[in-house]
Amino acid sequence: MLAGVVLYLRLAGAQLRGQVQYRVSFALQTLSSFTSTFVELVAIVILFGTFHDLAGWRVGEVALLYGLVSIAFGLNELFGEGFDHVSMLVRGGEFDRLLIRPVGPFVQVLASEVQLRRLGRIAQGVVAVGLAQHWLGLAWTVPKAFVFLGGVAGSALVFFTVLVIGAAICFWTVESSEVQNVFTYGGTELASYPLHIFNRWIQAAFLYFVPLALTSYYPALYILAKPDPFGLPGVLPFFAPLIGLAFFGLGLGVWQFGLRYYQSTGS
Amino acid sequence: MRMYLAALRMSYRRYRAYGAGNVAGLITNAFFGALRSYVFIALYQAQPVAAGYDLRSAVTYIWLTQAMIMPVYLWGWQEIALTIRTGAVATDLARPFDYFGFWLSRDFGRALYHLLYRWLPTVLTGLVFFRIHLPAQPITWFLFAASLVLAITISFCLRFMINVCAFWTTDIRGINGMVLLFVNFLSGFLVPVAFFPPALRVAAQALPFTSIISTPVNILLGQARGADALALLGQQVLWAAVFVAAARLLLQAATRKVVVQGG
Repeated sequence: MLAGVVLYLRLAGAQLRGQVQYRVSFALQTLSSFTSTFVELVAIVILFGTFHDLAGWRVGEVALLYGLVSIAFGLNELFGEGFDHVSMLVRGGEFDRLLIRPVGPFVQVLASEVQLRRLGRIAQGVVAVGLAQHWLGLAWTVPKAFVFLGGVAGSALVFFTVLVIGAAICFWTVESSEVQNVFTYGGTELASYPLHIFNRWIQAAFLYFVPLALTSYYPALYILAKPDPFGLPGVLPFFAPLIGLAFFGLGLGVWQFGLRYYQSTGS
Repeated sequence: MRMYLAALRMSYRRYRAYGAGNVAGLITNAFFGALRSYVFIALYQAQPVAAGYDLRSAVTYIWLTQAMIMPVYLWGWQEIALTIRTGAVATDLARPFDYFGFWLSRDFGRALYHLLYRWLPTVLTGLVFFRIHLPAQPITWFLFAASLVLAITISFCLRFMINVCAFWTTDIRGINGMVLLFVNFLSGFLVPVAFFPPALRVAAQALPFTSIISTPVNILLGQARGADALALLGQQVLWAAVFVAAARLLLQAATRKVVVQGG
């Protein structure tokens, strides 16, 4: 376990050093990651210029939720993108090489991509939270800060787990399934808006199947002191990191299970 | 001409043969269509009309833009850039037909596939689940078809120029990302241009990006009718002419510096 952590830090460090070598390219890519997501926020603000109210939520309140989710998704992109490429490794037969090395394939895949340019998206999320603060003048307390950071961590873990499960499915299907996009990119879009505006199937899917709403919407409800329209237990917002961890444990189980059934493509 | 039609047909067949990922893509488009529809449904609770769109038009706008993504191929097309990186471009340039025309034909073949297998099912999904509004008059459909062909042409030229940049930079991801940012926002893909603040709206309408998404969608939606629709079409024709000329000039500049290694 410790050896894995040490190795991960080494490999990740090498990646980072490589990425900052090309300063201009790195700066441009980070800027592009910032602006391409920033226009989403601009789009939301523009809509609120016309409408003022989204089912009881004001623009600042949506910006807070959006920022929380954006930071979480940025963290997931920063550290988890290696799992996006597992299908390529499996298809090309290169995954076999990972299996004969003395470290588990999970650490190797994790260390294969650390995308520092995704800091652009994270910065954009921070700007969104800053705007929310500017519009709402929130009075932060220690529990609220804890719930916010826990929500970020929990949501990042949920996004990451979707990637891990998507990668594990490749052990059976070889081809990557783009359906996971519904829960990753679709998940950020969904979780950026208050859950109660959606249809109940979508609500149920993101509360109980991929628990992204529990780790983003509920922390936001607590911080904004809004009533819970679904009547779930009031302590729920505090459990976001644990919910994220539990879901991640499930994903890790699927990964290990898939690994046992992995058959090389043999080319 | 026969050669270009053959290129179009081959490209169509190629996309149809490798269509396995299409269903997953369709699910993603439909999911985004549903999410954005619910956002508008919630927003319109407080007022019946905004920026000239009622709820039904706004929801229809969402579904029609989702349907447009693949026919105009908004995101990440790198086919030409890949041939430049591998060197296969040398063979393509040596072939006895017009390079630009060849790729344009192939792109229309691709677009035809995406119209039938992506645009149509996405629109039908919106029709079944969100009762979107489609026009009954044949003339609207006719204008839409013309607008769509122009939108695909402009979008192709834009992508062609980004790809041709690979002659100079090899890696076009940076340029791609920056251009897409403008396309996503200024085309009216994220929010209809009518909702923009006045200054931004004027700027967006003066730029070519609305010709790719907003114009065909608003024509089919009936937001732009009669003289308005014709004016928009005229603007598209103008942009298409400018873009074709620009793409050809850039290609000329690029091929002047091609050096083919080996043989």
